Amino acid sequence: MSPEGAIAEETEAPPEPDVEREQLLATLAESLGEGLVESHLIPGLDLWVRVTPQAWTTACTVVRDRLDLRHFDFLSAIDWMPSPYGKGEDDPTEEPKELDTEVVQGYAGGETRFQVIARMAGTGNHLAVNLKVDIGDDMTLPTIVGVYAGADWHERETWEMFGIFFDGHPGLKHIYLPGDFEGHPLRKDFPLIARMVKPWPGIVDVEPMPPQLEEEPAASDAPADDDAGVQDPPGDAAESATGEPSVTGESSANSEGDDA
Amino acid sequence: MGLVEKGLMPKPLTTLLNTARKYSLWVYQWGLACCAIEMGAAFGSPRYDVMRLGVIPFPASPRQADLVVISGTVTDKMAPAIRRLYEQMPDPKYVISMGSCANCGGPYWDSYSVTKGVDQIIPVDVYVPGCPPRPEALLEGVVLLQERIQNEDMSERWRGEPIVVS
Repeated sequence: MSPEGAIAEETEAPPEPDVEREQLLATLAESLGEGLVESHLIPGLDLWVRVTPQAWTTACTVVRDRLDLRHFDFLSAIDWMPSPYGKGEDDPTEEPKELDTEVVQGYAGGETRFQVIARMAGTGNHLAVNLKVDIGDDMTLPTIVGVYAGADWHERETWEMFGIFFDGHPGLKHIYLPGDFEGHPLRKDFPLIARMVKPWPGIVDVEPMPPQLEEEPAASDAPADDDAGVQDPPGDAAESATGEPSVTGESSANSEGDDA
Repeated sequence: MGLVEKGLMPKPLTTLLNTARKYSLWVYQWGLACCAIEMGAAFGSPRYDVMRLGVIPFPASPRQADLVVISGTVTDKMAPAIRRLYEQMPDPKYVISMGSCANCGGPYWDSYSVTKGVDQIIPVDVYVPGCPPRPEALLEGVVLLQERIQNEDMSERWRGEPIVVS
């Protein structure tokens, strides 16, 4: 695309086959069999694998023991439903825009609105696996605390933010939100009440600049300088206050310099 | 201090008391977010030297404090703790709300977890706007609070309007 030197060539060169990650994927496929639904590999970058909910715990165990990716990076969820409220940043005086309803899933596909994603990385190499799993209507997934103890808090967060239950979790209680909080705030259909009752303040981002009282009024005072008079309406107001002929030449020169 | 609270103190004595109080503000710091760093810069650094205003920024607990500076984002989960520690402060007590978040929620005006203004839970004497405020603004807030304390009629302590630094 870009004609520039070595960097462009490097990115445009056909990627070399990623032996290590393909090996990871092959091992996973071999261990999980039917449990592996889909995968996506970007050579030299990362690997995404989608598994069935039934194979979720097994997949994590395989990742830890056979793939030797022992560092639990994170676990969270994705709500793929487009927000029913839009961005909430549109000008309320304009025609309401049509909201996007098409669900577009990410790498390794998906069939449900919610997906849980977990990432495990190796400590001695630069390899990692992103494990994804579809969450059905029961909104339940077996816990992986027994496999990666670090998943405990992540699952609690995912539970309170998305309302996904983790079967067998030792203590599924609130971690960030107050105990009496209602709703799951990271779901796309969670209403932000403030945005409902008040338009986004950023719409009026551009406030009028305060009138410049230093040099411009003097410039508009110069009878010969047509440009400054046209371009500087606030100057007219302050004109009578500061009209010094001795400054005029200098400041009109300044305003010409600004124009150029 | 029953006489003071009833406003029955002789005036010269009230002036003397108020002068003493305003130059001995033990400030207890509620650092909740990035404003806490700015508060540290304003209160802890020799450049701004807040102690020349008579503000002493190191009580060990709210029970020894006259003033609290709420600096940072107040969340709904933190709000009960703020309220509780404010209630532990002995009267007369003062509150400076520092920064946009503590004033009104600031950039988190639409958040599900942020309290939109600490004045929803405790009475605020001085609002210092800014994101974050300059140290000078915070010190200006302290000075304005001291003016209020100087002219304060103790019996009207709770009826005053808040001060806004502009």
